[in-house]
Amino acid sequence: MSTIHVKGLTKSFGGNDVLKGIDLDVADGEVVCVIGPSGSGKSTLLRCLNKLEEISGGSVVIDDFDLTDPKVDLNQVRQRIGMVFQHFNLFPHMSAIENIMLAPVELKKQTKAEARQSALQLLTRVGLEEKADARPASLSGGQKQRVAIARSLAMNPGIMLFDEATSALDPEMVGEVLQVIKDLAREGMTMVVVTHEMGFAREVSDRVVFMADGVICEEGTPEQIFSHPEQPRLQDFLAKVL
Amino acid sequence: MHKPRPSRLTRIVPAAIAAVAALSLFGGVAAAAASPADASHETAGGALAAAASTPPPADVKGKTFTIGTDTTFAPFEFRSGGDLKGIDMDLIRSIAKLEGFSVNIKSLGFDAALQALQSNQVDGVIAGMSITDERKQIFDFSDPYFDSGIQMAVAKSNNDITSYKDLKGKTVAVKRGSEGEAFANSIKNKYHFTVKPLDQSATMYDDVKAGNSVAVFDDYPVLAYGIRQNNGLKAVTAKERGSSYGFAVNKGQNQELLAAFNTGLAELKANGQYQKILDRYLKAPDEAAPNSSFFALLANSFPALMKGLGLTMLATVLSLIFALIIGIVFGFFKVGSSLVLRGIATTYVAIFRGTPLLVQAFFFYFGLPQLTGVPIDVLTAGILTLSLNAGAYMTEIIRGGIQSIDPGQLEAARSLGLGYVTSMRRVVIPQAVKVMTPTFINQFVITLKDTSLLAVIGFAELTYQGQQIYASNFRTGETLLIVAALYFIVIMLLTQLSNLLDRKFNK
Repeated sequence: MSTIHVKGLTKSFGGNDVLKGIDLDVADGEVVCVIGPSGSGKSTLLRCLNKLEEISGGSVVIDDFDLTDPKVDLNQVRQRIGMVFQHFNLFPHMSAIENIMLAPVELKKQTKAEARQSALQLLTRVGLEEKADARPASLSGGQKQRVAIARSLAMNPGIMLFDEATSALDPEMVGEVLQVIKDLAREGMTMVVVTHEMGFAREVSDRVVFMADGVICEEGTPEQIFSHPEQPRLQDFLAKVL
Repeated sequence: MHKPRPSRLTRIVPAAIAAVAALSLFGGVAAAAASPADASHETAGGALAAAASTPPPADVKGKTFTIGTDTTFAPFEFRSGGDLKGIDMDLIRSIAKLEGFSVNIKSLGFDAALQALQSNQVDGVIAGMSITDERKQIFDFSDPYFDSGIQMAVAKSNNDITSYKDLKGKTVAVKRGSEGEAFANSIKNKYHFTVKPLDQSATMYDDVKAGNSVAVFDDYPVLAYGIRQNNGLKAVTAKERGSSYGFAVNKGQNQELLAAFNTGLAELKANGQYQKILDRYLKAPDEAAPNSSFFALLANSFPALMKGLGLTMLATVLSLIFALIIGIVFGFFKVGSSLVLRGIATTYVAIFRGTPLLVQAFFFYFGLPQLTGVPIDVLTAGILTLSLNAGAYMTEIIRGGIQSIDPGQLEAARSLGLGYVTSMRRVVIPQAVKVMTPTFINQFVITLKDTSLLAVIGFAELTYQGQQIYASNFRTGETLLIVAALYFIVIMLLTQLSNLLDRKFNK
């Protein structure tokens, strides 16, 4: 069971309130897409879910772990959550397969041989088994992001977070990455996806959350959000992006 | 450099009173440091020479006496091609031969030799030592064997200055803290000239040759020796009355050795050998004897310069190892989240980048022992200085290197569940090292060159060895050229090697 419970989450940088009280529950196997204009706090919300950002107020509970509890073992919780970044953040001094093997080997979950075996399977899953020994610098943007997804799956997480995973890609490479994400969704992964791809959000989501100015402005099924938006701000936003 | 040597006088008296306990220990260390290389054991010509002369006190015959001396005080004692030479050395050896005893000479340094004498580690000291009332309290002196005094010299080509009167409105070079300076100051108002104190004899002579000063006031034997070595000067006045040098034994001890010295000295004076010895070092050359060739200079100075280069490399390598450790610790303090640690690291860097290396070297060598009461040897002080100085730069190199790595790298590693240390070790540092390597090589070269500044505290590295060489042969330009070439060659080679390693390991 992989679940996310966010209650009254606030986050401020200096005097700037970026998140102003977010309540969000994600059920096991549910796919939630977060949309909204730039600066609305989507990425910050996502980064609070594995505590890459300090949490200013409220609570975030992943499965049974309360991230605001100082005693919680963050490294333990983070192994349950895979994260994919806009700029891939692959380790440039390692080959594709070494990127994937790093965490399982360092955290002593697998021997090198086992990790290599699983990493190859993950690469196969994203269609890049022949790129196992390639350095990130020699991969295209789409290939890099697929390796990054494979890497985030290496610890076998129950939850995946995608932070604008296709925003830095050339248009012709967006499709291959979205396909991998869709496959994961179909396999029942619990996912929170921050995205600007409205078509993708509509197709893959169980639920869509629209954020503006640090609050959740409106949420609902893709049908409700995209076909019957209620709030003027959401209507406004959709008019601009669709 | 020597003469009444005010610093030595003031140092030796308290040493005699206060440090009695430490003396035997120090003497032991000094004697051990003198090692086989520094102790030349010579057998006397023996019975034949002795038989031909007045019978000496019978009890020195066939005995061996250990004689302490200074390391370098040309023309009284100095090394030439590995052997100790000089007026003192020739005198003591000739006397030993005449009187039928052997001498085992230990080149300890002036202060150490006197301390060794007090603790009976050596039987006698001959080190261009002035006979003074203070020293007579502790030692028994022989008859004076040399009369020193201040003399004035000008550039060889200068025919305008022949007396003190001609100095009006001119500048005169003197050695800082020397009798020459005191003498110059005592007459400068009468003759209306300016006194310019400098640190070394060679520097003074160069200053005169370059025309910055018109004349130099220096000790007669040092000056005469320099002129004999073609330093480009000539003496123009008679020497002023100065102090006399004597051979010393510990008060009330080795009286037979003292007596033998006096007898031998009188005999050498009588048979003309004494004058021959003085002429060997002090007589002005009849003609400007041509300097030996550049390659002869190179060959002669090579062993000493190589020794200096070895110490330069040792100091560089040790300092860089320590600097790297310091840099890693403080570099991580600077990128870490603790305000206190960051403050400590920032303060450290500010202090050591914000003060000159030379001042730091003086502080660690001269200042720190005065504050702590614990003496510090020159190698330790030198390496401490360079390590802390280079450590400050290393800190910044490491901080900069780590901060140059995209924060997304650390975030990606942490998001996988890796801890901070593992993330740094496996992800950030390997990338940072690549970025830092060229700056490391740069710092390596800088630190290697900075070791030359340690010459000022007497650390016997390459530059210091060069200074020692031109202090005795007065060929400043050529010697410095050789020294510079050695630095250049070594740095070129090491830079090439570093770049090669960089390319090999940081592809």
